[in-house]
Amino acid sequence: MPETAIWNFRQLAHHELDGFGGIGEGMSIQIAKDGRRILWLAHESAPKNFTAVDVSDPRAPKIVARADLPQSHMRSNSLETVGDIMAVAYQTKEQGLQPAGFELFDISVPENPRSITFFDCSGPHSRGVHQLWFADGEYIHMSSSAPDFTPTHPRDDQFYRIIDVKNPSKPVEVGRWWLPGTRQGDSEPPPARHPEGADTGFRPHNTNVYPERPDRAYLGYIDGGMVILDISDKARPKMVSRWDYHPPYHGFTHTVVPFFDRNLLIVSDECVRTEGADWPKLVWVVDGRTETNPVPIATCPLPPLDTYQRRGARYGAHNLYENLPKPNAWKSDRIVLATYFNGGLRAYDTTNPYQPAEVAYFVPAPPERAPSGAIQINDVFVDERQVVYTVDRHVGGLYTLEMDF
Amino acid sequence: MSEASIPSKWTSETGPESLFGGKDAPLFGRRQRRARGPRLPVIAVTGFLGSGKTTLIRALLDKPEGANTAVVVNEYGEIGIDNALLRSSSDVTVLLGNGCLCCNVRTDLQETLRGLFADRARGAVPSFERVVIETSGLADPGPVLQTFATDRGLGREFHLQALISVVDAVNGEGNLARMPEAKKQVALADRIVVTKSDLADTAATGRLIEHLGALNGAPVGVAVAGEIEPFFLLAEPSSPRHSFDLGEPEHSHGLCSFALIFEKPLSWAGFEQTMAVLTALRGPDLLRVKGLLAIEECRGPVVVHFVQHVSHPPVELEEWPDSDRRSRLVFVTRGLPRESVARLFTDVAAITA
Repeated sequence: MPETAIWNFRQLAHHELDGFGGIGEGMSIQIAKDGRRILWLAHESAPKNFTAVDVSDPRAPKIVARADLPQSHMRSNSLETVGDIMAVAYQTKEQGLQPAGFELFDISVPENPRSITFFDCSGPHSRGVHQLWFADGEYIHMSSSAPDFTPTHPRDDQFYRIIDVKNPSKPVEVGRWWLPGTRQGDSEPPPARHPEGADTGFRPHNTNVYPERPDRAYLGYIDGGMVILDISDKARPKMVSRWDYHPPYHGFTHTVVPFFDRNLLIVSDECVRTEGADWPKLVWVVDGRTETNPVPIATCPLPPLDTYQRRGARYGAHNLYENLPKPNAWKSDRIVLATYFNGGLRAYDTTNPYQPAEVAYFVPAPPERAPSGAIQINDVFVDERQVVYTVDRHVGGLYTLEMDF
Repeated sequence: MSEASIPSKWTSETGPESLFGGKDAPLFGRRQRRARGPRLPVIAVTGFLGSGKTTLIRALLDKPEGANTAVVVNEYGEIGIDNALLRSSSDVTVLLGNGCLCCNVRTDLQETLRGLFADRARGAVPSFERVVIETSGLADPGPVLQTFATDRGLGREFHLQALISVVDAVNGEGNLARMPEAKKQVALADRIVVTKSDLADTAATGRLIEHLGALNGAPVGVAVAGEIEPFFLLAEPSSPRHSFDLGEPEHSHGLCSFALIFEKPLSWAGFEQTMAVLTALRGPDLLRVKGLLAIEECRGPVVVHFVQHVSHPPVELEEWPDSDRRSRLVFVTRGLPRESVARLFTDVAAITA
């Protein structure tokens, strides 16, 4: 069994979350009224919904709350908090099931999250919400289905929706956008499918909106590549540009993080197959100086193929640290932090964006009960203290680290 | 060396920073917390045969501060680390426990270190945090310094944190008198360790320490029973607080060692042009130049390091290490006295201003 490989990170603690250590893509910090720093984690799959961990002392994380999902045929892979409000995404396994949508919680008492409202997105062609972005306390930007949306292909069931939650007990949709051709009734033809086995849908994954450009949404559009939207009129989002590099690449564009001051866009793929079957899944550096013509200029060096390809489960890129526009989140327009499943957590310096240089890695030894025998580092968050939180997708739970580079 | 580079290559109107630097583009890339940035620290230990290098390194490995160290023994026919520590004398890596490993190099140092770096990334060897190189007794430290100076060498992955010179109190004085390499090892060192003082009389040790001080302004530590504070070996070198001029002592084979302190911030253009002149005219005689500079165009202090005609990429630090904000530059030269260098800096500054 491989040992922990660590370079320029310092491990502070590891918490397996009492046997429920499979964590998804929602990691959000709340500073509770009593000053405690609470990390809210979305679980990757049933039976757990979310877990709250007191990370005031990152060397001694403590579980303070945990909730079960109402149904086993669903997952809540994404969440975000703003102040004492938490939004949790609910996605069902099949279309037509419930509950599909998102739930808002009052987390002013972290031990006792109280439901405020449930925003229903269920419908005959809906699986609900896969991912949501909630940063300003006013709008949720999400990848969601809707009861009134019939896709031209069942895998294109989710699209971009903007929900006004200024009144958290009464969320209202204010705008939506989908890739032309993916909705029945569109005048454009449906997009050409990716080959069977690599056909993962023309739908958004991450939908990021930043205060530096409140009129822009940056979408990883899975098989559709990267999409930049003009949302200056939220009711009518318009496409500014789309960078589609598939084929020949395998699809599943996941996250787009703009480095605004430097006119760069960092774009990640998600690896979704095991043993390198969809290699190479990459983190791309894109020249964004001309917004209407994004140009890829480099990729971050992958963890060595010969070492990781057959180490078990997935090997390739997934989540990026997203420079969350929140007071308790770290900001950097030089360092990329990316997760690579069995390749662990990696940090790159993009000072020369033509040659991103790896400056740190953390590949923990496989957790004892890892079903694949491998670690599957899934997501990463960095708080303003520069404490790094990273999670395993299956059983490993939470690792806290310091950056030492 | 073929990869000769004059300092002026480090700033340019064109380059990634001109396209993607942003509003606050730093002159030398991302500001770093420390001179080595993300690179692995290397501590090179020089010293003559029998001076106690191995004992000193072994004592370090036994301490908690020395955990996770990779030791590379760069030896040429010399008896190296003994069998208890190193079970094979071929080109192999041996795990020592305590997260440490040992590598006996008979071939190429660069190849070995690259291999160690790759093995570490693969998880094939423990995640060592530093490398200690034990050099052969007769080694001139110059080439070791140069090896870490450029990207084409090992400068991308490794940073020479400290060059340690080990001098034993019994034979040190004799070696310094007879062997030019011994003087060079002492003159170029960041720190000097005197060993075997228990075997020499106190007066002789005192005279040796005085002699060492005349060759190099670096800190001198005295090992007790072959051991010294781990910090003395592992720390980043600190910059001098005072200017000094050790001149060209008798029998020093032309070695000069001196420090310059600049009260006011320097312009980068002036500094790089001064160094370009020195490098162009006297490159081979600039055995080592290292410093911490206040540069007008930079928020943080800039670490510079030259070895003959090769210069490390400058590194801008996020913070000054202390309240002293003056530029300090230490020179070890062959026959190039302080006065000439100081005058050149003054004259170029006058023209640049």
